[in-house]
Amino acid sequence: MRDVAIVGAGMTPCRSRWVEKTFWELAQMAVSEAVHDAGIHIQEVEAGVAGIYNDIFEFQAIPESGFQGIIGLQNKPLMRVTNGGATGAYAMLAARNMVASGQHDLVLVLGVEKALDCYDFEAESNTPAVVQTIGYSWDPWFERPLGAHASESYAEVIQAYMDEHPGDLAPMARAKIVELLCQQAQNNPYAQRLGEKVTADQVLHSRYVVYPVRVLETCVYTEGACALIFASSEMAQKIKERKGREPIWLTGVGAANEPYFVGNDITRYKVLHRIYSDHVATKKALKMAGITIEDVGVIELHDAFIPQLMITLAEMGVVPFGKANDLVEEGIIFPGGRLLVNPSGGLVFGGHFVGGSNMMSTWSAMREMRGRGIEHGLIHGTGASLSMYGVAIVLERRA
Amino acid sequence: MAQTKKTVASAKSKGKPVISPAMLPMAAITEVQAADGVYLQRNDVMFTAMKHTQGEFSDFFRALRDEGKVFGHRCVECQHLIIPPFMRRCPACNFVEMKKEYVKDTGIMAATPVITVFAPSRYKGQEPFGTGRVFLETADGKLSDTAMLVRVRTTRGTIRPGIYKRGTPVKLAFCDSRQGEMLDLFAVPQSELTKKQLRKSPLLESEIEWGRISEMELGKPSAQLRKTLQEVVVHFQKLAEMIPHSPRATANLANWRRTVAVRTGGGTFSFAVGQGKLRVQNVVVKNPDLVVAIQDPSILLTWLHDSTEPVGEGVKSPALTDLVIEGTLVLNKPELETITRLDRVPRSLRRDNVVKLPSVKVSEGTPVLAV
Repeated sequence: MRDVAIVGAGMTPCRSRWVEKTFWELAQMAVSEAVHDAGIHIQEVEAGVAGIYNDIFEFQAIPESGFQGIIGLQNKPLMRVTNGGATGAYAMLAARNMVASGQHDLVLVLGVEKALDCYDFEAESNTPAVVQTIGYSWDPWFERPLGAHASESYAEVIQAYMDEHPGDLAPMARAKIVELLCQQAQNNPYAQRLGEKVTADQVLHSRYVVYPVRVLETCVYTEGACALIFASSEMAQKIKERKGREPIWLTGVGAANEPYFVGNDITRYKVLHRIYSDHVATKKALKMAGITIEDVGVIELHDAFIPQLMITLAEMGVVPFGKANDLVEEGIIFPGGRLLVNPSGGLVFGGHFVGGSNMMSTWSAMREMRGRGIEHGLIHGTGASLSMYGVAIVLERRA
Repeated sequence: MAQTKKTVASAKSKGKPVISPAMLPMAAITEVQAADGVYLQRNDVMFTAMKHTQGEFSDFFRALRDEGKVFGHRCVECQHLIIPPFMRRCPACNFVEMKKEYVKDTGIMAATPVITVFAPSRYKGQEPFGTGRVFLETADGKLSDTAMLVRVRTTRGTIRPGIYKRGTPVKLAFCDSRQGEMLDLFAVPQSELTKKQLRKSPLLESEIEWGRISEMELGKPSAQLRKTLQEVVVHFQKLAEMIPHSPRATANLANWRRTVAVRTGGGTFSFAVGQGKLRVQNVVVKNPDLVVAIQDPSILLTWLHDSTEPVGEGVKSPALTDLVIEGTLVLNKPELETITRLDRVPRSLRRDNVVKLPSVKVSEGTPVLAV
């Protein structure tokens, strides 16, 4: 397999709703930014991958079809990827493989999503309709009829972890992480919650969405787009000479999806108190990159819910199971600590436009690696029922 | 189909349209203001009506409906038993055929169940509801290898933390009228059932005594608690008098009619919601629509104080909804709407300047997601 580099990135601002833009325009904005950032002409791009999570959000089946001719890939291959919350990371995986396999030298990967056009005319509010739309992700025979939905499903994992490790995921530790991410988001010009100030105390007093998870511990709905340009090493070298900027290299990738049904054997079923997919994906990606978790300086982690972020960091080996409170109490992820986590503000404060959130994470990690001279970064995506999908991608800055 | 023996409050909604008529919008194009101008938006829907096959699961759902029984599939090679029978061949044994096997209606919780407060559109009105996974006992005295997602209920009021935990022994009970779906059954803690109920199989919803919060031990009212209760009634009255001055608060209570008995450690009082108003009665009403129980009335007093006084950012009380979800405020049945409507009132009073305050910035983002 060939080395793959990221040579350009483009983002739209994250907003809860873009009444001013359709997803076609959002896609074009991000692609336009990315090609200009890379210093290339779109006609040089040979193929594309579009990450779009949900047809209902876009109000169109095969929503990517409209991109042909809009994002400049006419008469070239464009493949859509949809893998739940991990759609962005899986789309990146597909694009990376197109280049690594030798099939293409320059590939565009784009993630875009609408959400808040969904509207509940009975409640006169968007949110119940958005929650319902995501709820259609559960199976229609056994779980969806019971009212299964995203926060209920992730809360099951969180609660099971707390059953296994009583006292861990302490409310104050969770609240402090929210406060930290809010502060970090203020450095992300595209963040949805720019200008907001949320304190740990506010988190502890915010209302429950699903017990035991509170509303200020959850990610937001976002509309937006992000595009990245992946290049072979030969192409990356040419672009570097043109642009005068070192690319960021994709040196490790790993992915794993856990089974849908819960049971007692981790080799065959989902074990509720684990996010084993994160463990497997991270292990694979680090091994491929030839590094350990201690070598990673920045993690952009898919924080659907703050307690899940803490479990995922335990699955990655940053802290032992049952010791996730140490992230706060030992200051591991706080200023002066050994690890930078979600400098973008994550999906809770930066935004979660599902098809492209993990690409926003990549944009942010690259920015931090260049700005702070960090050698290795880790991108994480999760998704689907019970956080069963997991993707990890190692980034490397070569000075 | 099983016949209804007795009318009981059911978590299931029957005989209603699949999509509420109110969710079908009028065809219209409207304008929406954005920072840089006015944009158009079109009312529309993306429903596809279904006659959705239950296919190979039909036998399982028929067993729920006609027999009040659950079966799983057992692999004849590795002996794993899965519930529900979500596949017919065992992939671990290279797709060997699995055999149908009935399981008992008793088992244990795989983990502490979670409680949904904010439900998707199609489940509105069912909150708060608990969902959790059960491992069911098998004929050979073991447990199934997978755990099945079910609704979890309590006979003692609204579902709340502390009723269930990981390993809690449960019994499945069945709705009297069943259609052949997962909502035909639910779990109840074995500790809440009599020996006779535990022996009965299938145990029907109508055979269980519901709403037993009268058994909640509130103790003999002390003079202090009685005094606090009187303050609660006075403040409730004050709240009631403010509501007609606030169009938003009036709207919060519109189209809703309930009589509510509030039992506290300091005594009992009642209130009624109707015609967009709140009426407080310092008496016990007969046959209230809802009974609310709380040991310490000062918790209600804090909420009332925060709701009726210009406390600014110094709000001390959690929302009433959170008090219900945490189990501090116990309802005799799973009907949260009276509480959520009351919870909207304080903000409406502030927005309509009935409670005069500097505007409070709410920092909550739009919940929630993760897919």
